[in-house]
Amino acid sequence: MGETAPETEARRLAEDARDRVRFEEEALELADQVYRVARRMVSSREEAEDLMQETYARAFRSWKSFQPGTNLRAWLLRILTNLNIDRGRRVQRAPDMQPLEEGDYFLYNKLEESTQAPNPDEERVIERLSQDDAVVALSAVPHDFRDVIVLVDLGDFSYNDAAQILDIPVGTVMSRLHRGRRILKRELAERALVDGGDSE
Amino acid sequence: MSGFAVDPCDKCEELLQPFLDRDLDEEERATAEEHLSLCAYCRKRYRFEEELRRFVRQAVTEEMPPDLKTKLAELRTPLV
Repeated sequence: MGETAPETEARRLAEDARDRVRFEEEALELADQVYRVARRMVSSREEAEDLMQETYARAFRSWKSFQPGTNLRAWLLRILTNLNIDRGRRVQRAPDMQPLEEGDYFLYNKLEESTQAPNPDEERVIERLSQDDAVVALSAVPHDFRDVIVLVDLGDFSYNDAAQILDIPVGTVMSRLHRGRRILKRELAERALVDGGDSE
Repeated sequence: MSGFAVDPCDKCEELLQPFLDRDLDEEERATAEEHLSLCAYCRKRYRFEEELRRFVRQAVTEEMPPDLKTKLAELRTPLV
């Protein structure tokens, strides 16, 4: 009635193979979403592609350490973040603490000032920004702040998930997010006002 | 009137990010909403911030190159 030892082993191997295939398929289904986040954590498309391949190679090797039922996308990005740090692409350092006087209305006020029409709608104001302005401004935000913006505002991760991915306290995620968005707006203002907001 | 101890527009500016993140407690949220219902200056800036987040997200999103997905699939453990 009972299984022999070889049968038990064969069944275990078959279950493992099935679980591994399911894991790999689920991880691949998330690749587009992981890439969108990864792309803005590094400087170039090439770096993002290399990092994705290293991440997936490692994930497929260590699939057993993933806890089913937890957030696979966050797990993949945790691997990606660690690889990015390990490879020295991203030097860990203290966050940029230069004084930032501008508040959250700064960008709007600057763009509104430079708009010809009096009392413009917010749609008219945002038209002063180009896609290039956004890409360049985000890349100019220091890494520590940018990573949090990318995870929360682009990747839709919760503060808790972002904290786990970056291995920092939740309070630090919140403060970096707050400050990072202000830095982003300062960078956007600089670019939009230099190029007149009419590029592209 | 609004419960602000400082300039209400300054206070409203401080609450902008947590407001849009839905990270305010009930009292703070009510304070911001009350001020926004009265102040076109702040209302405009809140709407702009919402629009800005959408704009930035769309502008910086870059889709994965199709051949990368193939390369990732090739990293899977071969079935024996």
